[in-house]
Amino acid sequence: MTALVIEHLEKTYTDAYTGDEVVAIGDVSFSVSEGEFVSVLGPSGCGKTTVLNTVAGFVRPTSGTVSVAGNQVSGPGPDRGVVFQNHALFPWKTVLGNVVFGLRMKGMGRAEREARGREYLSLVGLEGFERRYPHELSGGMRQRLGVARVLATEPAVMLMDEPFASIDAQTRRRLQEDLTRIFEERRPTVFFVTHDIDEAVFLSDRIVVLSGRPSSVREIVEVDLPRPRTWASAVDHPGFRATVAHVNGLLAEGEAEGTAADVE
Amino acid sequence: MAVDSAEHTRKAGSGRPARAPAPLHRRAWLRLSRNSAFRTLGPFVPVVGLWWLIAALEVFPPAFFIGPDRVVVEFAELLRKGVLPGYLADSLERLAYGAGFGLAIGIVMGFLTALSLRVRKALWPILLFFQAIADIAWLPIVIVWFGFSLTAVTFVIVYTVVFPLMLAVVSGVEQVPRELVLAARSLGAGRLRVFWEVTVPGALPSIATGVRTGLGYGWRALVAAEIIVGTSGIGFMMFDARRVGDVSQVFLGMVVLGILWYMLDALILAPFEKATVERWGLVRGMEDDE
Repeated sequence: MTALVIEHLEKTYTDAYTGDEVVAIGDVSFSVSEGEFVSVLGPSGCGKTTVLNTVAGFVRPTSGTVSVAGNQVSGPGPDRGVVFQNHALFPWKTVLGNVVFGLRMKGMGRAEREARGREYLSLVGLEGFERRYPHELSGGMRQRLGVARVLATEPAVMLMDEPFASIDAQTRRRLQEDLTRIFEERRPTVFFVTHDIDEAVFLSDRIVVLSGRPSSVREIVEVDLPRPRTWASAVDHPGFRATVAHVNGLLAEGEAEGTAADVE
Repeated sequence: MAVDSAEHTRKAGSGRPARAPAPLHRRAWLRLSRNSAFRTLGPFVPVVGLWWLIAALEVFPPAFFIGPDRVVVEFAELLRKGVLPGYLADSLERLAYGAGFGLAIGIVMGFLTALSLRVRKALWPILLFFQAIADIAWLPIVIVWFGFSLTAVTFVIVYTVVFPLMLAVVSGVEQVPRELVLAARSLGAGRLRVFWEVTVPGALPSIATGVRTGLGYGWRALVAAEIIVGTSGIGFMMFDARRVGDVSQVFLGMVVLGILWYMLDALILAPFEKATVERWGLVRGMEDDE
């Protein structure tokens, strides 16, 4: 089953001052199967976050369609929970209050949603922090809570917008391993945006490599790494190094073309 | 409680080598500075001391400047006669009416202005225009309309409270991070839920400041209105005392005004902020130790 289908997505912005048309997304098509982990990778400013925002329903496409579980996207909805780069937790809600937010919106009863909330908190390793407030957590813990808050509502696809970009390198490795463990345990459908090649290869089943602005799909790379994955085993795996090198090559080529185009 | 445990962990975690206990006077000071009564009243000790000293040295003639001792005597006297409690009750009743209506109108109008572009476009110039007309400037016409009545005083207080509050609500709503609204929407919240669950709590730090500013202005407007409209109340008492040349009641009135505001802050505003915006880490508390 396909969970997410993106067909001929295009997005054009009009510059508010100059009135110029800026093409953010040229022509992007790909799909994500149910229970699959797909990353979107591209040079900075290539519009990969715009692709995610379109899937989330925050941004309307200029043309093309996005459908999730067979329904065309027309606005934000609980079938597409988002994990934000800056976590976007509600500061006035406790850890438990944050994790059950989506379930409350669904109208689930208190006892049931709190039991479910606690289950997901323990899945991400936050048991015992139910009564804390987000400002009392570390950056890594906040992002774990961000993941739990989305997973608790069991969305058709979880959207992650460079969730580990503002976290220190050591914690980031731990979070990536934990995310992989959770993915292997629960098999949610994940749509992950990043500019970190190692991260994309380590986490994903497939990587959609975008070209520079205006973005189009350059290549979809299959990652052939056995699961369960850990960093210790991945770095020694020849497949991991080969895939990283291949993706790196794709991005470097794109960059070279970009510079050539600039010179013209 | 929370402060205590933070202290402990800090000491345990610092890993400093054991050393001789601090000298007695330092330990006494430390204990004293944790006492909440001392923290509340301590800063006033030098002020009252200086006041007393100036009065005792008779820098100004005693008919114009009296010491704290005379104020205390006057306080007891007026309390015994029942004048002060009566005036106090009048003043507080007017403030309660004015502040109550002012808060209700200001908050509702503020959210309407903040959330609807059409309302904002229509209201903003009017808001700026009326903001420039001082509360006292309304008194002449208000007295013509409502006479020397509670309505007249209430009108002026409502007027002073509403504008700063509306501006605070508008800026509070603007400060709510857009990402939080998007997060709520993508977790299934409709527009009404977003308003109650995100917009209102997100705007609260600014609203709390607005309530404080608004009530502060209202409190001053009350005294000004009582001086002019004056039939009773603390402001009336002070102005009436000046007329008969009784400085002690003027001083007493000033002290009472200060204490009342301090109590309003300590008993209502500060605990509310401590339980909400400070607890959520949105603003830092005045009494945080670190």
